[in-house]
Amino acid sequence: MEWRRLEEEAFKTAGFLSVSLVLLCLLAMIAAVLLKGLPALSVEMITETPRSGFYLGGGGGVLNAIVGSIYLAAGGTALAFVMSLPTALFLQREYSGGGRIAEAVRLVLDILWGVPSIVYGAFGFIIMLSLGLRASLLGGIISLAFVVFPIMTRSIDEILQTVPQDLKEVSYAVGATRFETTWSVTLRQAAPGILTGIIIAFGRGIGDAASILFTAGYTDKVPSSLMEPAASLPLAIFFQFGTPFQGVQERAYASAVILLVVILVLTSAARMLGKASRRNMIV
Amino acid sequence: MTGEIIRVEGLTVGAREGVLLKDISLEIPERKIVCVIGPSGSGKTIFLRCFNRFIDFNEGLKARGRIMFEGVNILDDSVDVTELRTKVGMITQKPSPLPMSVYDNVAYGPRIHGVGDKAALDGIVKESLSHAALWDELKNRLGEPAARLSIGQQQRLSLARLLAVKPKVLLCDEATSALDPVSSRKIEDQIMKLGRDYTIIMSTHNIHQAKRLADHVIYLYLGSLIEHGPAKELFHNPKHERTKAYIKGEYYEDYTVDQELDLREYGTPVNFLKVKEAIDGLRQEQVLRVVVNTREALRDLPRGLETDGHKIIHRKQISEHDWEIVVRKTE
Repeated sequence: MEWRRLEEEAFKTAGFLSVSLVLLCLLAMIAAVLLKGLPALSVEMITETPRSGFYLGGGGGVLNAIVGSIYLAAGGTALAFVMSLPTALFLQREYSGGGRIAEAVRLVLDILWGVPSIVYGAFGFIIMLSLGLRASLLGGIISLAFVVFPIMTRSIDEILQTVPQDLKEVSYAVGATRFETTWSVTLRQAAPGILTGIIIAFGRGIGDAASILFTAGYTDKVPSSLMEPAASLPLAIFFQFGTPFQGVQERAYASAVILLVVILVLTSAARMLGKASRRNMIV
Repeated sequence: MTGEIIRVEGLTVGAREGVLLKDISLEIPERKIVCVIGPSGSGKTIFLRCFNRFIDFNEGLKARGRIMFEGVNILDDSVDVTELRTKVGMITQKPSPLPMSVYDNVAYGPRIHGVGDKAALDGIVKESLSHAALWDELKNRLGEPAARLSIGQQQRLSLARLLAVKPKVLLCDEATSALDPVSSRKIEDQIMKLGRDYTIIMSTHNIHQAKRLADHVIYLYLGSLIEHGPAKELFHNPKHERTKAYIKGEYYEDYTVDQELDLREYGTPVNFLKVKEAIDGLRQEQVLRVVVNTREALRDLPRGLETDGHKIIHRKQISEHDWEIVVRKTE
């Protein structure tokens, strides 16, 4: 009896400690970024592109990187979604039989998930070279899509697997086809989870620097076409840190604050949307 | 006398582990309520799932034989299952609304079958909900998510969703077993009314429900068809011992008699000694059949045997004066 109570207490304590540790790390990181970045943050930072001498301490902001990052991540996520959803659906029992092919594809996706994004960047770079393309927004979007594709596909796949067979049978029972059932029942039921998958992929995409290093290039302008190079916040942070000037380095922290806020705003908006899609869900 | 709507010929369903339904042949009468009864694990659900080819979803199961419906063997690979399922609808044990509003749940079937006109859909929704005894309760809640309904309402909603596509055959797989008695009764009442217009095949392990509803009864046991026929006949005059026992709610056990003992000549206490001697000569789990012709023996012998830990399988009158006692040796 005593042992069982002890077990219970030990488990509770272990859980509490690990959660505290994680929260502490997160708070410390955010605090460090805010402490260093907030003093350097100004309206100019988010409304202007770099003026001449920006990286030497001159005036201007990182609007080019803010817009570039949103374009890259949104484009990459959208492109990946177009491929992810059909792939994830194919992995389900009713389409692929859920047998060896599905398991093999899942294994490949899990491996791809773990591949460092610089490898995708190098791969994208080779393709661009062979096609005679320059570093561009389009190149960056395609490379990012590769990076987030496995993440998004496996998240959606896992969610689709949780849709109960009973629920699908209800639809089949009134003479619905496989497509009708997938479209009206499976995807509806899974919608909140799919949205979460998209948010995770977007978060991964907007924070990635390595895959777009060669493929999207970098520019001080806001890109006005898909064929122009595009800047990004992670790279802006990297370049600003690379300078020997303290004022510029502080603006790197400010850029990090901006990146955090962009992610916060976009994911919160997506979550609000998700709430609406949860209304009809069967639990 | 109405005709048959479905004819089952030599239906056998096999899995890797063994046979789940064994060579079943019978006819389903049209516009009747057909109850499939039998203890758990007797294959009722699998049997029902053959009629709308839901058996296809049970991995590893293979149905052989023929089920003739409208001149076609519905087990044939060439059958269009979506069309079949429009004609043969099913509600399952666990009520499961679709992830949409009450209205959309009912309109779901008609919409996929091409009814787009709002007025027509409104009409179908009202009619179907009324037939499921839900209209009065839900007419002001049509836009609410179906997930918010009570379990009983959800099951009636399943019924309404099914009726909206106007099937010919309704399969109800233990449709009331997850419900409270009041909700259960509401579903029963509707099924009773619908039995005039639809052919209803329902499985139930509730013998009283079968007695209340059935026009025709099919009794399955361990995948075999034991007996089927009009409800009156089957309930009042079952041909098979096993059916009789099941209807009475008695335990029925298969046994083969290993030794017989006739004690009609003997009185107490000699009959006791004889029984003891016979039982001692048996191996564990073997069965002894004893015939007695006195009330005292009938009362006292089983009592003594049970005290010793043996199991009385049954006591039964076999002629005017004679009774048999069947006992399994267990110590």
